Amino acid sequence: MNRKSKINEKGSIAIRLKNVSKKYIIHHQKPTLVEKIINGKDEEFWALKNVNMEINKGEKVGIIGPNGSGKTTLLKIIAGITSQTSGKIITDGKIVSLIDLEAGFHPDLIGEQNIYLNGMVLGMSKLEIKDKISQIIDFADIGQFIDVPMFTYSEGMKLRLGFSVAVHADPDILILDESMNAWDIDFQKKAQKKIEEFFKMGKTILIVTHWLDFVRKNCNKVITLEKGRISKLEISGK
Amino acid sequence: MSLFNSSTQNIRNYLDFLWAMTEKELKARYKNTFFGFLWIFVNPLFQMLVIGFIFRFFVKEPIEDYFLYLLVGLLIWNFFSLSLLKTTPSIVNERSLIKKAKFPREVIPLSIIFSNFIHLILALLLLLIPTLFIRTLDLMSLPKLFLGFILLLPFTIGISLFTSALNVRFRDINFFVQAILILWFYFTPIVYSINVIPRSVIWLWRINPLTSIVQLFQSAFIAAVPGPGPAMLLSNTVLNLIMVYLGIKLFFLESKYFDDWV
Repeated sequence: MNRKSKINEKGSIAIRLKNVSKKYIIHHQKPTLVEKIINGKDEEFWALKNVNMEINKGEKVGIIGPNGSGKTTLLKIIAGITSQTSGKIITDGKIVSLIDLEAGFHPDLIGEQNIYLNGMVLGMSKLEIKDKISQIIDFADIGQFIDVPMFTYSEGMKLRLGFSVAVHADPDILILDESMNAWDIDFQKKAQKKIEEFFKMGKTILIVTHWLDFVRKNCNKVITLEKGRISKLEISGK
Repeated sequence: MSLFNSSTQNIRNYLDFLWAMTEKELKARYKNTFFGFLWIFVNPLFQMLVIGFIFRFFVKEPIEDYFLYLLVGLLIWNFFSLSLLKTTPSIVNERSLIKKAKFPREVIPLSIIFSNFIHLILALLLLLIPTLFIRTLDLMSLPKLFLGFILLLPFTIGISLFTSALNVRFRDINFFVQAILILWFYFTPIVYSINVIPRSVIWLWRINPLTSIVQLFQSAFIAAVPGPGPAMLLSNTVLNLIMVYLGIKLFFLESKYFDDWV
């Protein structure tokens, strides 16, 4: 893994977007094949319009903006979960997002099997997971539940396990949102400590939030989105 | 050199992931069942008994080893139809994974097909023992079996990629597949022999790639049953390849945007 991140250090840009636009087709109801043929026309919505940005390695970037301004769409495109309609995007390094952490677990499989599955979905190799599995279990603090089917887990346990797998995936670029505020206090502290570690390690971090104070304090770049366009870009000395 | 290393490592990781997902399919399916994978054999066995009993009254020309003939056809058909039924809505069903991270989307339908394929291999292996014993199967059958697999697996993958990708936007596809499979069963020589089909409508079987696939397996297990003719094999294979091409093409075109629709 170290070897890989060294190769990555050659370029200094982690994420570059050039004229990225994203169009969604609004479906009030799921379209049927017949409707598609009869109506022929779709209602469109541009979630992002000609977005240009450059994020250097190690930068901490806050993305703010009102609901529906395109924040989530932007993160999804950067994470590769969906693709842009037009424009170009280049990313360098492994991206892991801490959004939807409790998703993707199979209720019938035991904790350990789910760690492997979830880790691989996040791009970890089998060997990597094997090396880190005891760390992952320790951090998630699920103890003897590790060989119990997942449907017996509480929501909090699933969340903890999801978080633990994600942070052990050794990301170069980390994507966060403010759903963290809803976690239970004890784990929030632990998670915050882990995220602070990532800050100190010089990882590239993207945060989507409404919480302006936090962003001003922790990020060196603040991007404000409005109606799918970047309306403001603040760069501080941090 | 390092490029070569990293690409073999990537392939390895990909296969590990595919296998982990396949394992998930296998484990999740038989959780809390007593007979486990034996169900894959019990089902076609019952089907064989019922169809074998009833169709005896209707089939004019008797087929040699009719029950065995039925069982082989049913095992192949069940692999195909169960795979297609389960892969078609699979992308929609796994929306929580799709929304979570970037990963090769085709692993979802592929893992379902491979888990079914493992079942098929196990069931056919079980069938080998009695057929070797009653000598309906011999070494000459191996090329036919091999060719049968080579045609069956890509066709199932191709059509599954096609329907699963299309079903993301048009949920009707799922119901369409369910309906078409009922018809498709009777347009494949499973309960009857292709010999009873009049020449005027044989083109219907020529455009069904499953015809020669099923024939290959039947004739591999029962030496007295002839394999597919050259015209049948050729037209079936051409359509098979077209389906594989279309399936792969559509899936990779659409998979970038799955997240927008699920």
